[in-house]
Amino acid sequence: MAKGVVLVVDDEAPIRDILSFYLKRADYQVLTAGNGAEALVEMGHLKPDLIISDLRMPEMPGDELCKRVKADPATQDIYFIILSALDGTASRIGGLSLGADDMIPKPFHAQEVLAKVDSTFRLIGMQKEIKRQNRELTAFQTRVQEEMELAAALQMGLLPKLPGEAHGVRYTHRYLPASGIGGDIYDVLPLPDGGTAVMIADVSGHGVTAALISAMVKTSFENQVRLGGGPLAWAQGMNEDLCRSTLAEQFATAWLGRVDPVRNVVRYVVAGHCAPLRIVGGARGGLRRSEVLRGKGFMLGLDAQLPFVEQDAEFLPGDRLLLYTDGLVEVEREDRTMLEEAGLRRICAELPEDADAAADVVVSQARAQNAPAAFIDDVTLVIVDRMDGGA
Amino acid sequence: MLNIQTRQDGTASVVSIQGKVNFEVTAQLRDVIRETVATAQPKLLVINLEGVSFIDSSGLGLLVAARNSVDKSGGKLHLACLPPPVKKTFDQTNLTNYFSIFATEQDALRGA
Repeated sequence: MAKGVVLVVDDEAPIRDILSFYLKRADYQVLTAGNGAEALVEMGHLKPDLIISDLRMPEMPGDELCKRVKADPATQDIYFIILSALDGTASRIGGLSLGADDMIPKPFHAQEVLAKVDSTFRLIGMQKEIKRQNRELTAFQTRVQEEMELAAALQMGLLPKLPGEAHGVRYTHRYLPASGIGGDIYDVLPLPDGGTAVMIADVSGHGVTAALISAMVKTSFENQVRLGGGPLAWAQGMNEDLCRSTLAEQFATAWLGRVDPVRNVVRYVVAGHCAPLRIVGGARGGLRRSEVLRGKGFMLGLDAQLPFVEQDAEFLPGDRLLLYTDGLVEVEREDRTMLEEAGLRRICAELPEDADAAADVVVSQARAQNAPAAFIDDVTLVIVDRMDGGA
Repeated sequence: MLNIQTRQDGTASVVSIQGKVNFEVTAQLRDVIRETVATAQPKLLVINLEGVSFIDSSGLGLLVAARNSVDKSGGKLHLACLPPPVKKTFDQTNLTNYFSIFATEQDALRGA
């Protein structure tokens, strides 16, 4: 098999012959043409890897042929060497500026041309290999990208459907994963006794692993809630689930709550998560006071034996609960400060009555106050409003 | 970029960290801790966090995993010199009660 295809273009037959002789002897397949126009016809039959062309020819000179070859996307990757009697640097630069890849001055030694052709084919071989690897990488990248997009869509499907309503509460969320797919998750489940179970969690790390575990956290929460009991039992059960099924560095911070519409309280467990805000009367909009639903508990998944503590906080009709993950308030700004809980409370001092409008205000204000620094971690914000007059 | 230094102090190993500990650098820190534990097999591993300005959940996860792996090999992990922002994160996640935390590296080495 030939090492490659070379098209020799020259109006002088002896030059075509001698080049053909040497190139064929070196195992190249050789095409010949007497001018640019003939060369184009030849190329219509078989695409060469390399063209060696004289500059001055009748019909179509070499510079015109070079321009056409390099302008056509189908042929522009063909290596083009100009053979020219116009010696000197100026004409060399002129030739290369036409788009030619190399020049050989006339008169030449056939051996010199052959050496150049050999080195050019080594280069072509390398370029072909790089192109092949690039194609493979691009195909791989596209596949990974498509899978990530699918996973991200699936993860979005794990979030509660909006607008959300359950037993006298109305809720909405803003979910902004750092890399298309993230480790944040939340859930709101109506309970058979008229209460509502609420969970928000932030899995350590990012990307696919964190997303998988966040799905596991949600399933575990649903199972625990189905078993009955309250936030303390749910936290213990979820902790055991996570300890059993995750790797050494995988944990989740979480806040678990149960809204009791009869006693007007929310009973909750903080598992290493940022404490939510209760905005007193916040579901009615306007200037409002907020309280922080603090508590001390370990992250889920550390150790199956670790204890959790359950607490109660007042949660009246018209109150608003604002749950979030740390990505919302932990963006380091240029002056090295962060928004933190205090900054979030200032934003929440006055919010619109409508939960969706309020969520937009919180996210846009947090963004504005961090600017030009952007969110780097997954960001989740959940607003749960107790409706007035709700049971 | 994280600046990590390690040194031996008798049978103890000390790893000092400077910078922001987040998901971008946990792989680097994990390698250093793993190598220190594997080669020196210290009875006591002290991690000095004095130069750490911020630690995120993946960083915390890494420290917990380090404690668990040192525990398993019969050693101890002590943390030293937590700056206020790091201390706050530890308090929030209740990890203050999960780790043995010391005010100075010397205290951590003495285990006082």
